[in-house]
Amino acid sequence: MSHLTEDDSTIERKYVKEKKIGEGTYAVVYQGKEAATGRKVAIKKIKLGQSQAGVNGIELSAIREVKSLQELQHPNIIELIDIFSHKTNLNLVLEYLDSDLEMIIKDKNIVFMSSDIKSWMLMTLRGLDHCHKNWILHRDMKPNNLLVGKDGQLKLADFGLARDFGDPMAKNMSTQVVTRWYRAPELLFGAKQYGYAVDMWSVGCIFAELMLRVPYLPGETDIEQLDLMFRALGTPTEEDWPGFNELTQMKFQKYPKTPLKALFTAAGNDTLDLLEKMLNYDPNKRLTTREALNHPYFRNKPRPTPPGKLPKQEKSNHLNEPVSPSSSSASPY
Amino acid sequence: MSKLSLQNAMLSYEQLALTPSRKDAIPEELEDELRRLGCHFIQSAGILLKLPQVAMATAQVLFQRFYYVASMMAFSIRDIGMGALFLAAKVQESPRKIRDLINVYHWLISKYQNTVYEPMEYFGTEFYAMKNALVIAEMQILKRLGFNVHVQLPYGLMVNYLKVLELTEHEKIPQLAWGYLNDSLRTNIYVCYQPPTIACAVIYLAARICGVKLPTQPPWWELFEAELEDIL
Repeated sequence: MSHLTEDDSTIERKYVKEKKIGEGTYAVVYQGKEAATGRKVAIKKIKLGQSQAGVNGIELSAIREVKSLQELQHPNIIELIDIFSHKTNLNLVLEYLDSDLEMIIKDKNIVFMSSDIKSWMLMTLRGLDHCHKNWILHRDMKPNNLLVGKDGQLKLADFGLARDFGDPMAKNMSTQVVTRWYRAPELLFGAKQYGYAVDMWSVGCIFAELMLRVPYLPGETDIEQLDLMFRALGTPTEEDWPGFNELTQMKFQKYPKTPLKALFTAAGNDTLDLLEKMLNYDPNKRLTTREALNHPYFRNKPRPTPPGKLPKQEKSNHLNEPVSPSSSSASPY
Repeated sequence: MSKLSLQNAMLSYEQLALTPSRKDAIPEELEDELRRLGCHFIQSAGILLKLPQVAMATAQVLFQRFYYVASMMAFSIRDIGMGALFLAAKVQESPRKIRDLINVYHWLISKYQNTVYEPMEYFGTEFYAMKNALVIAEMQILKRLGFNVHVQLPYGLMVNYLKVLELTEHEKIPQLAWGYLNDSLRTNIYVCYQPPTIACAVIYLAARICGVKLPTQPPWWELFEAELEDIL
């Protein structure tokens, strides 16, 4: 219990807030630095839950974030450096990274080589693999939540929706998770119990987005999301996804399966094979992080670009970027 | 942050003997009694709120830990109990409405005091006072426990141990051992021993009460990382 001896105000004095860099539904994010070392940090100030009747205690998402990040330490997961409280606010001190994958994808001055995409995919999957190994679901994988540091390292951030899984008693998990464009089909159909496969679907969408440079399945509503998905990947049949017919009473237009090659013209066969297995309709057949990391794609040439040599933005313009619709917070932290 | 351990925090003899409440001249017997009462409220409130047992257990461990870093003089067992339960429910992914929790506590306390129960006014000052106290207590718990909300519990371990010992079908032992675990939350053993030891201890006790012999060659508890001295 090392923290017990350390007073909160001493921790608070260790960091200096510099400027506001973003605001989400439950937090304000400041850029700051550690006074002693000059190390840049992000300070996420969590607002107490507000309702008509006044304060409502600490947000569940804040608890989830603290709980998951305390458990996870990995080069591809954002580091929780410190926590302190100020009056009634909770402040999380996080590693500062000045860019994210969404900004990089949108920056049309940057050209992606296939080795760059491989490198980003590798880092994403390694971070996610570490979460899943520790029985934690991220539940909000999207380019906006994949932060990229000056050294090119990619780190998973925003664990406000993360939770433990694998508990057979955990019924009634919320389906309103994951930003719609990256939401797995079983969630759209209202599955109350689900697992690692929901995160893998999102990674598949991110993979596609890296190649296309635009979001792969940008649905405006949940129904449109399904329609886009079926148009792109074919309407699932009972054979693709055993039990599909029992999921819903809805009748969908039957779209044929078009080979991914038609859209991803420049991609190699190993790339398409990996993408197809990540976007498998049946959550039980969708790849696990381990299987994905062992896929020949990562062993075949070209070799993934070393993080330090990945293309990066000329200058960061954190605030002016429009952000994709978000399930939890607009801020990347 | 990197030094954070997910294991349950254990206390030294000094910390156990000289609690903050003791320093404020609260007698040992009174403190023990208040700890038991606070835990009793948490357990009863949890049952009324239909929370899973892990939430009540987590809350009680947080409650016990809290009074090793803060005094009962400064924080009432009602507020800390409510705060701990509210927090633990969130930690265990079964959040409850703040109003429900306050109503349940209000009822429990009036029952305990043997007064006639009168529901609180919906927007009354009493309700707001309790709510305020609860929110402050929740933050205080987090703050004073270094934001460590991880509590390892022995329930799952115990069930697995019973399976290995082939005792799951016994008519009494599993229920008895489970009950001992619930009861043990009212003591300080969660800050004295790690979950495997606690799980072994309740099995040992349950088997003894039922007169069931467990293997001693080699001793069964060695399999589960426990020392005989600790179990007893």
